[in-house]
Amino acid sequence: MDDLNPLAGTAHLLEEVDKKLMVLLRDGRTLIGYLRSVDQFANLVLQRTIERIHVGNEYGDIPRGVFIIRGENVVLLGEIDREKEQKLPLKEISVDAILDAQRREQEQRQEKHRLVSKALKERGLAVNADIINEDFC
Amino acid sequence: MLPLSLLKTAQSHPMLVELKNGETYNGHLVSCDSWMNINLRDVICTSKDGDRFWRMPECYIRGSTIKYLRIPDEVIDMVKEDAQAKSRNRAEMNKNRGGNSSQNQNQRAPRSGNRNGFGVRNGPGGGGGLGNGNMRPGPSGQGNRPPAQGNKLRK
Repeated sequence: MDDLNPLAGTAHLLEEVDKKLMVLLRDGRTLIGYLRSVDQFANLVLQRTIERIHVGNEYGDIPRGVFIIRGENVVLLGEIDREKEQKLPLKEISVDAILDAQRREQEQRQEKHRLVSKALKERGLAVNADIINEDFC
Repeated sequence: MLPLSLLKTAQSHPMLVELKNGETYNGHLVSCDSWMNINLRDVICTSKDGDRFWRMPECYIRGSTIKYLRIPDEVIDMVKEDAQAKSRNRAEMNKNRGGNSSQNQNQRAPRSGNRNGFGVRNGPGGGGGLGNGNMRPGPSGQGNRPPAQGNKLRK
């Protein structure tokens, strides 16, 4: 039955236009906004976008406005379920608080990374930390 | 409205461009092309960690290095107005084109006559007007003469 549809199995971004989407970028950031336009490169236009920062089970939203995203930087996108959005098992906190939490998390991660690379170095496994940190340059 | 058309509409507006390496460029869009290459003016560049800044009067950014652009909210509204104005223009133009079609046919007739004259003439008859088409039966030498006279007069 599905074989009758020539587009079965292919992805159509056009079906997502004007829906509320979450977009995950290659740098790890999460954007949520209304998809207004796409093109053949999967470049996206998002309107009324927020950047959502998650730390643990808390999150904070920063209003960002209109985005034109170059398609190659997108990891995934998907529609936001309005019903499930109402009952998230997460707690929203203020922008300042979430930025603080994010900074602390980052520092912890760096510290952990420093210890790991130190331990590896002692065992004769030199790891170039700079290369690992700058994942997406 | 495709993303790149929206970018074109945003010309002369302020915008923020973030590159894949995390640097951001704040400035006014001067121009852009279909590869997303862009020119900005009155730019402030911010380093990835956000603690160093550079001012520059203008800059060019290669499209392939861009992560995203942030544009003012009102540009999207401009697009809607633009699209409406364009469709209105198109409707009017179609109307005009329909009305003029008979005139166009009339204009085409003398032009084809002229083209035949041009085919016979082999001199440098630069000033060839409608009249030259009528000189077709004459020898090609005559066709050469009028421009030469014109040169003498000019001296």
